[in-house]
Amino acid sequence: MRFHRYVKTGIAAFAVTASLVGVTACGAGSRSGTQGATAVECDYPMPSSATTVNVLAYNSSAIDPFTNTMVKSCTREQVTLKHDPIDFGGQVTKTTATLAGDTGTYDILETYGFVIPGFAAADDIEPLDDYFAKHADKYKLNELNQEMRTAMSYDGKLYALPMQAQMYVMAYRKDVFDAAGLKPPTTFAEMIDAAKAIQAKGEIKYPIALPLNATADITTNFQAAMNSYGVDFLDSAGKPQFTSDASRKALEAMKSLLPYMDPQVTTFDQPKVQQQMFNGTAAMAIMFSGRMNDLTLPANTKLAENFAFAAPPAVEKDAPHLYSRLSVDGWSIPKNTKLDKDMLFQMMASSVSEDASKASVPAAYPAREGMVSDDSSKYAAAANATITKTMPTSGHPAAAPVTNAIRPILVQVVTGQLDVAAGMQQMQDLADKTVAGS
Amino acid sequence: MRRREFSLLMGPSLVVMLGLLVIPLVRTIQWSFQEVQYGSPGDWVGLSNYTHALTDPRFGQAVFFTMLLTVIVTAAILVLGYLIATGMNGLGKLRPVILGSMLVAYVLPNIVGAVSFSWLFDQNFGGAVNYVIQAITGQDILWFTQTWPNRFMVIAHTVWHLLPFSMLMILAGLQGVPMELREAAKIDGASTRKTHFYVIIPTIRGILGFVCLITIMDVLRTFDNLIPLSPQADAIGNESIMLYVFDTAFRDGSQQLGLGSAVNVLSILLIIVCLFPFIRGLLKEAKAKA
Repeated sequence: MRFHRYVKTGIAAFAVTASLVGVTACGAGSRSGTQGATAVECDYPMPSSATTVNVLAYNSSAIDPFTNTMVKSCTREQVTLKHDPIDFGGQVTKTTATLAGDTGTYDILETYGFVIPGFAAADDIEPLDDYFAKHADKYKLNELNQEMRTAMSYDGKLYALPMQAQMYVMAYRKDVFDAAGLKPPTTFAEMIDAAKAIQAKGEIKYPIALPLNATADITTNFQAAMNSYGVDFLDSAGKPQFTSDASRKALEAMKSLLPYMDPQVTTFDQPKVQQQMFNGTAAMAIMFSGRMNDLTLPANTKLAENFAFAAPPAVEKDAPHLYSRLSVDGWSIPKNTKLDKDMLFQMMASSVSEDASKASVPAAYPAREGMVSDDSSKYAAAANATITKTMPTSGHPAAAPVTNAIRPILVQVVTGQLDVAAGMQQMQDLADKTVAGS
Repeated sequence: MRRREFSLLMGPSLVVMLGLLVIPLVRTIQWSFQEVQYGSPGDWVGLSNYTHALTDPRFGQAVFFTMLLTVIVTAAILVLGYLIATGMNGLGKLRPVILGSMLVAYVLPNIVGAVSFSWLFDQNFGGAVNYVIQAITGQDILWFTQTWPNRFMVIAHTVWHLLPFSMLMILAGLQGVPMELREAAKIDGASTRKTHFYVIIPTIRGILGFVCLITIMDVLRTFDNLIPLSPQADAIGNESIMLYVFDTAFRDGSQQLGLGSAVNVLSILLIIVCLFPFIRGLLKEAKAKA
């Protein structure tokens, strides 16, 4: 009897120990996928003692090439770079937490245009101009796209080294367009005419697919529409522009597309728009370029060979820019890191080198110029055409809170619960209040 | 049990509770009177956060929707849980099989279950329910953008997710009902309906109260299943209190932790008010037994 009790106790203890080992072992070491990463020169002055550099970057096909190159190339001798897999939401939360105090958990952060002004204004991230000037020749940093560097700047200073960007690209069903004798539209009016022609054929009820998800994407699309007219949410002085003519035209243009889109379009994020294209229930979609690769994969859809790509239309014929936004990703150095910032900058710079940037194509559109030729992918020509005609915008610390504040009003305007004029005034009032309070 | 033994056994739990419950609660109350962002000490704003929350129509709508969801789901779960448990009680060898299959809905992570459930109503991912409704009525229902269809979908998913737990508890309670009571009722000529209403249900009222308590607590905290089921929750009035707090407190680039904390404090008060009758009942019963 006693023996049986000992055996039971022993088995239980073993099971608990094995579970604990398994759980703790899961967190041991870096789990970044560096095996296939491009190795580049990463020549920085070696610190005198063993050093760990913690990198925070979300996993995506566009970001991973740069992260993995940095980890693989810069880990040497007594310096180890650590990167754990994380999704975008996790990165947002951890970035906020690591920048919160006098000491942080991470030494290199992946950042993007939407948040740079806020972090910079709060003095949470390091200005990089001096490091840029010092190492420009060594890492050929002047070949990084100027527009993307502007997007990563605030108040005239560079706060992140751009690695890649996404811009809007239009994907369309070439077979459907050819059958209807249509060309890719260059304005919203042409897009509507094409949609009418496709509807008349009877096969596709809602030919246009846009990600107008009420929680996030809808404000990006509204901003893209305003940018087409050369106006942003806030002007250079930080004054909201929601009662401008551009704002009215942008709202009316968005509403004009509704009869040609799924009635539930305000619940569609980019994956759902992709799904519409996969299913063949839409004939044209406008999304960020990072979503285009999925449309070319036969594993995702039988229609992969039927998709063609073009630059998105402008809202109107004489509009100065296309209906597009530039979303730039880059590397920043948190002010509260205890490591040598020059060393960290050189690690970041090596990750955006020519070899690393070339290797990231076609999954990413690198910040380094000349990496994407029209032959790089099926949508490369469209991306190249778009980037030159997207309105360059630099951020403002109030942009993020203003965007969040106006979103519920924008949804009401687009869904018809509020008329355009009243919606514009409400957004303006809310934005004025938000700017004043920020 | 001696005082020293009691302290030694209770000590670790009390330390954990202090660290994970009491301290965060105190901090939440503190922040509710401040304007706070991560990394910076809060600025005292008095009752401003509470005024903002209580005068915000969006918060009022969130409270209305959450309470509506709680009442309907709790009632549905009690009734359906009781009916299924009664049926289950009569099963023999099939009981573990059916019980196991039902429990899948409960053990599945809420967000995973909600995404799969939403696909039943989403034409982009099959939309089996849409297909059947269209075949029978020829109508397209906009489950994600119309208020009441969306509420039906959210209620259906919440019931589907929580029903197995309720059914399991009530089943356990039914198995504790003495056979003699049922036989006595039968001998006295009570019909099946009267046996349930006057014999069985009063006997298991403690279990039913417990199920009510847990269900109310769970549904008042509805959050993650609304992400896939109601992407436009705010616009159609189907935002829960927790979703409102999340959106308010943790917005990317513009947190409002003070306002979120104030809403959390108001939510705690609301939960206490909702649960008070049940907690009082349980305490009375415990006293009576002691």
